[in-house]
Amino acid sequence: MKPDDNPCRPRHFKPGPCTPEPQDGPAQLLLETSHTRLIITAVLFCLAFIVIGARLVEVAGFKGGETRLAHIAATERAEPARADIVDRNGVLLATTLEAPALFAVPKLIKDPERVAEQLASILPDIEESEVAAKLASDKSFVWIKRPLTPSQALEVNRLGLPGLQFQPVGRRVYPEGNLLSHVVGYVDVDGKGLAGMERGFDEILRDGQEPVELSVDARIQYILRDEIARAIAQFSAAGGLGVVMDVNTGEVVAMVSLPDFDPNQPVDADSDAARNQATLGVYEMGSTFKIFNTALALETRTATLASSYDATKPLQIGRYTIHDDHAQRRWLTVPEIFQYSSNIGSARMALAVGIDRQKDFLGRLGLLKTPNFELPELGAPLVPSPWREVNSMTIAFGHGISVSPLQMATAVSAVVNGGVLHPPTLIKRPAGYAPAGQQVLSTRTSEDLRRLLRLVVEHGTGKLANAPGYLVGGKTGTAEKVSDKRYDRHELFSSFIGVFPITAPRYVVMISINRPHGNKASAGFATGGWVAAPAVARVIERMAPLVGIQPVDEDSPEIRRSLMVDSLSPQGRKLAAN
Amino acid sequence: MIRLATLLWALLVAASGYVMFQVKYQVVQLEDELAHVNRLIDGDREQIRVLDAEWSFLNQPARLAELAKRHLKLSPITPTQISRLDQLPWRSPTPPAAAASAAPPSAPSQPTAAPRSSLPGSSR
Repeated sequence: MKPDDNPCRPRHFKPGPCTPEPQDGPAQLLLETSHTRLIITAVLFCLAFIVIGARLVEVAGFKGGETRLAHIAATERAEPARADIVDRNGVLLATTLEAPALFAVPKLIKDPERVAEQLASILPDIEESEVAAKLASDKSFVWIKRPLTPSQALEVNRLGLPGLQFQPVGRRVYPEGNLLSHVVGYVDVDGKGLAGMERGFDEILRDGQEPVELSVDARIQYILRDEIARAIAQFSAAGGLGVVMDVNTGEVVAMVSLPDFDPNQPVDADSDAARNQATLGVYEMGSTFKIFNTALALETRTATLASSYDATKPLQIGRYTIHDDHAQRRWLTVPEIFQYSSNIGSARMALAVGIDRQKDFLGRLGLLKTPNFELPELGAPLVPSPWREVNSMTIAFGHGISVSPLQMATAVSAVVNGGVLHPPTLIKRPAGYAPAGQQVLSTRTSEDLRRLLRLVVEHGTGKLANAPGYLVGGKTGTAEKVSDKRYDRHELFSSFIGVFPITAPRYVVMISINRPHGNKASAGFATGGWVAAPAVARVIERMAPLVGIQPVDEDSPEIRRSLMVDSLSPQGRKLAAN
Repeated sequence: MIRLATLLWALLVAASGYVMFQVKYQVVQLEDELAHVNRLIDGDREQIRVLDAEWSFLNQPARLAELAKRHLKLSPITPTQISRLDQLPWRSPTPPAAAASAAPPSAPSQPTAAPRSSLPGSSR
């Protein structure tokens, strides 16, 4: 081919010097047109190559490729499972496992009644007529049952019926069973939290992949539950509850309410077993309230440990008479009032302080309003209104005001830990975490109260709470329950609040037994000192090694000195020892 | 010359096309493999969850307590069984008999036994 003849030849290919100049005419026109077309095509190609080149650089040099890979890897988990709940040591308390669920496509089912009959023979807990009605409907999707056990799924599969299909669904499993029923709670078939932490933390559990770490220790929970169950059986009681709290952080380490239930087969929400007595129940606490009354008197300086009050005879106010259970019939000092749990003396102490300061003090301890807590089941305290003098006097020994055991444990923690109130929590705090609390009473009052609490266990109404070596301090409380609008001497609410080790408190252990009955071993008594105190002692003895608290020699001079109550008269000492 | 160049380009095009398809099929295969491995991982994760749940179930404190009672000759530790290292007296240079008499009266040691070392419980 001669280049000169080519009409498509670009112009810059200059023809050789001997070729003639092209002439105007149709040939020239053709040449112009093809030239333009060529340029356009070249530009387009250039652009395409630039785009490809840029993409090449992006893929090779930058992160263009990774997003796609990550995307492929992530497609597998379409919806994240509900997060686990674990205890403070990582023990699994609630998890989600996959289980087959059975659904039906009613349009594909020819004979709904026969299918329903066959299904009912495999799945015992479905209603045959109900299923038949579901299958006869003209929907395109109905759940039959979720979740199924593997063997049930196999049986249904073996029927070989068209229109019945399986889909894996998340099923919530609680491996610890009854142990933490009220704390962990449970979910409905759609995985929506209905009670306990499952409800309180529903959104976080739904979104989160990280397990939620509770402050609860499953081992201590077991010990507490075991001892409460034993006390309930021993005293043929109606129920019981208990709280173990870390006094320095407000963490709830164990929380029990008996009777309880298995969250794998939750009970009716209105039943007794579903009720968390430790947070939802509010009770007149009885003499354990004297802890706050005494702290109040010492804090406001209306009394010192050496002050004494007249407890010679019952106190008459209006139509009420205030008696003492362990009547001494003489003037009692403040430590003696505490030690013998004198109602008369406590009422007089409260009178001396006055209504306003009492109200203010109890308010600061968080006893007058519903606490801020993770569980949704929270009882509001029952507070007298108006707050008269007679209320003030009965509140001094824990009647006429109802608070939840959780509030009680929180307030006692504040009284013994040096006077700092930490809001209660069920979420684990990191080790060494020192929460900023609120100073609600002076460290000096706190120290005095610790001595008094020890006195009760050493010489007073709480002797059975003594776990040798662990320096238990505490206070008994026995409240009469109201039946037919009056206090019933035989319907009791017997509690003990223990603190250990009292020289540098770590834990508050509170146990209350609902409606206990005296037996031979307790000489017919069903009071806090007989029913709840021994249970607290056993809990402390069993849990102390787990939390690394070493027993000490209680008779060593340093400990004796640090726990000495100065004002105790020799006479009181002798009486107390009896 | 031109024929040679054209041939070369055609060869290059064919080669690059071949390599491209080769890579593409490799990628498809790798993606399949990845999806498969992901499925396996998911299955394993689910298995681990089941085993975790079972582990927790089998470690229920009540069950362990029952098993321990049945199979072990151990009982819960009491405060008297716990002692600290600094509570132990130093080994006495005197003969065992003399050391035993010098031991605190609370120690139920026999005259022949080495002092304190035969006490129940261990130091922590």
